[in-house]
Amino acid sequence: MRMAIAQYYPGSSVLHHFDPRAKIVAVTVVAVALFTRDAFRALAVYAALAAIGLVLSRVPPVWFWRGLRPVLWLIVLTFIAQVLFVPGEAFFRLGPIGLSWRGLELAGYLSLRLVVLVLVGSLLTLTTSPISLTDGLAWLTRPLRALRVPTEELALMVTIALRFIPTLLVELEAIMRAQRARGADFSHGGPVRRARSLVPVLVPLFVVSFRRADDLALAMEARCYVPGVRRSRLHPLRSGWADAVLLALVAAAVLAASLI
Amino acid sequence: MSGLAGIHVACRALSFAYVEGDRSIPAVNEVWLEAAPGSSTALLGPSGSGKSTLLLLLRGLLEADAGTVELDGVAPGAAGYPALQRSVGLVFQQAERQLFAASARDDVAFGPRQLGWPESDVEQAVAESLERVGLPMQRFGERHPYSLSGGEQRRLALAGVLAMRPRALLLDEPFVSLDPGARRVLAAVLDGLRDAGLTLILATHDVDQAWALCDGRIVLAGGRVAAAGGWEFEAGGEETLRAHCLRTPSLVELWRRLGRPVAEAPRTPAAAAEALL
Repeated sequence: MRMAIAQYYPGSSVLHHFDPRAKIVAVTVVAVALFTRDAFRALAVYAALAAIGLVLSRVPPVWFWRGLRPVLWLIVLTFIAQVLFVPGEAFFRLGPIGLSWRGLELAGYLSLRLVVLVLVGSLLTLTTSPISLTDGLAWLTRPLRALRVPTEELALMVTIALRFIPTLLVELEAIMRAQRARGADFSHGGPVRRARSLVPVLVPLFVVSFRRADDLALAMEARCYVPGVRRSRLHPLRSGWADAVLLALVAAAVLAASLI
Repeated sequence: MSGLAGIHVACRALSFAYVEGDRSIPAVNEVWLEAAPGSSTALLGPSGSGKSTLLLLLRGLLEADAGTVELDGVAPGAAGYPALQRSVGLVFQQAERQLFAASARDDVAFGPRQLGWPESDVEQAVAESLERVGLPMQRFGERHPYSLSGGEQRRLALAGVLAMRPRALLLDEPFVSLDPGARRVLAAVLDGLRDAGLTLILATHDVDQAWALCDGRIVLAGGRVAAAGGWEFEAGGEETLRAHCLRTPSLVELWRRLGRPVAEAPRTPAAAAEALL
């Protein structure tokens, strides 16, 4: 069973070695900047940036395609909507539908922007392990603690949730097999029948998960976990000059895109 | 309990590999196995030797990469094979994890209902199988499965498989994490099933239980059959077990230490006492 949840491609490229905080900031800046100026030239700068990232990450391109595939329909839909509904001087007309250069231009721009956005996001998740991603997020959201937002605990929850997805998938498969051996059928019948056929799977899965959660909570307590207490880390986040270069590069790109 | 006459289970050159990403991890390698109707066979071997995978293949829950599983001499694809496949019951490791219904009887009835049996047949099958695992309907039928003890839950899960009237029963580590009392009760239930004529194949690490219950044994190592047939303690059988991280059954060792012929080693403490006194 294979699922594309927070895909991470282990590697040792330059991008893998950046501090996760720097990567999160860089990607957030680019994502926001993408939406602040509507010009093909600006988009080209970010597309070039994404392309450089793609090459430097040394991640096989098919992995980026995997990230793009689920949002493909959104991109296509955006394109069609823009082509059909943007007013302008039509150069081609079929009944009530008219195609204008302005519409085509806008459609192309908006779809490309989505593609670049997804690629930039994939660059982050593909080169950053879920653990360091949540570590980075926890650090960056630290100021929210002043507002009594339990950021460390939230980060830990996310880390644990991500960690247990594969475990639960294995569990799920075992339970489905057991029920199939008892004659359960998950692939036939209408939607109602199929939903009902999941009861014998979901009930045991919940029971197992709750039991596991209980065990984990006890184990963490036994190992002196106290929520809200400042903890040290096995892998402390370290930033160096490389991260400064990354941020400078992104800043330069944003500046260039807003000037040209 | 009707319909318990065992079936013949055989597999020929069975192979299977798990695929993980672009890696292929062989689990079962050209396994030949023969279990006569009503026989009881222990499937022994260290963890990761392919026991559980082999059971899944025998039940048809995994599709073999090569080789076939023949049931009563019928090969896959032939008419009647699906029905024979349904008559092979598989009890999973920690089978109590498959319990989901709000009452013991409903959980046991799940299988028969999936098979589309008329409700009166379902009722009868449920009552019979609950009785057989020592959880009589009057006392346990309406109990919530999660309110039962660990050993009772495991026997309830076994009843859920028995209710489908299997003619062969595959068990994956049925004794694991049970306390001695629960083990003893379960062992007695399995004894009863063997005596009733079911074909039993029992994957286990527990050689004492295996020796008490099974006429023959198959030792798996690295997905291959390392030894098959009788226990053969008179002919190097102990060495075979030791070579694969298993030990000699206590009663066999006792017999050897007493200087008695191991070929005549008793299966149960009671039989040992009778022979000694």
